[in-house]
Amino acid sequence: MKVKIKSWIAVASWKWDVPEDEVCGICRVQFDGTCPNCRFPGDDCALLVGKCGHSFHMHCLLDWINTESSRGLCPMCRQKFEYVEQ
Amino acid sequence: MSSPSQRRIIKELQDMSRDTSSGMEASVIDPQNMTHLIGRFKGPPDTPYENGEFAVDIQLPDNYPFSPPKMKFSTKVWHPNISSQTGAICLDTLSAKWTPVLTIKTALLSLQSLLSAPEPSDPQDAEVATMMLSDPEAFKRKAREWAIHYANAPSTAQQSRGPSVEERRQQEKERELQGYDERTVDRFMDMGFSVSDVVVALRRVGVRPGQGRLSEEVAQRVAEKLLGL
Ligand SMILES: [Zn+2]
Ligand SMILES: [Zn+2]
Ligand SMILES: [Zn+2]
Repeated sequence: MKVKIKSWIAVASWKWDVPEDEVCGICRVQFDGTCPNCRFPGDDCALLVGKCGHSFHMHCLLDWINTESSRGLCPMCRQKFEYVEQ
Repeated sequence: MSSPSQRRIIKELQDMSRDTSSGMEASVIDPQNMTHLIGRFKGPPDTPYENGEFAVDIQLPDNYPFSPPKMKFSTKVWHPNISSQTGAICLDTLSAKWTPVLTIKTALLSLQSLLSAPEPSDPQDAEVATMMLSDPEAFKRKAREWAIHYANAPSTAQQSRGPSVEERRQQEKERELQGYDERTVDRFMDMGFSVSDVVVALRRVGVRPGQGRLSEEVAQRVAEKLLGL
């Protein structure tokens, strides 16, 4: 019997306790809380919604975009990250 | 007061300790130091690394998860993309393709999949890659030997000397056939009867071992015997 390995190694198969779309994929904190850099929930720690459909805390995303290795890409789907004006 | 980086590491470790299905484990070596971990997983099935226990040294950079974890095998591995000397790993998800939504667990999963899918055209260890390309059987043997020796993989020497399950089944069947033609017997087995039932029926009808194709008439009588008619 030959087991097809390619299918079960899929990197997307893991799960956190909260649904994927309710946590910031970068800090793993729920969106109703602030990013780990901010103390209090509020306008200062805004959510950025990408045109690709992926959302992050603004502070978390900026920390990523400011690294050279990000090349401006969404960390989820690696498309160029462009946020939706709200 | 823990840093954002440390808080994420703690979340990841908690998640991994709750999750027992992935088979990926990571733990701190010194509780005072959250940036140095040891990861563990089993070698994937149908590979020379099968059921070996592989340990990975993990150093998390200060700006984790914005920079990738630095990982190297602490268990010696014979694999073209892993240095047989230092355990250094050549894997794009741990370098250029890293993003902060990846985790220690996904990184370990991709190391496990690297064991399943060696890529000798982009080697970390040229000697291993050359061997894999020029003599794949020798490569597999050596990878297996190393897995047994260093990763505590169960030795399969016993099994590889003896017959496989399939071969044993075939040997058993041949004994039960008692010299009767296999294709003749198979025809009746397809109706749902066991080898021994068919052999008894053939004998009762007067078919002799070694006899070739049955006439339709004889076949009919065998079938009737089997069905108890
Ligand atoms: Zn965040
Ligand atoms: Zn914030
Ligand atoms: Zn995206």
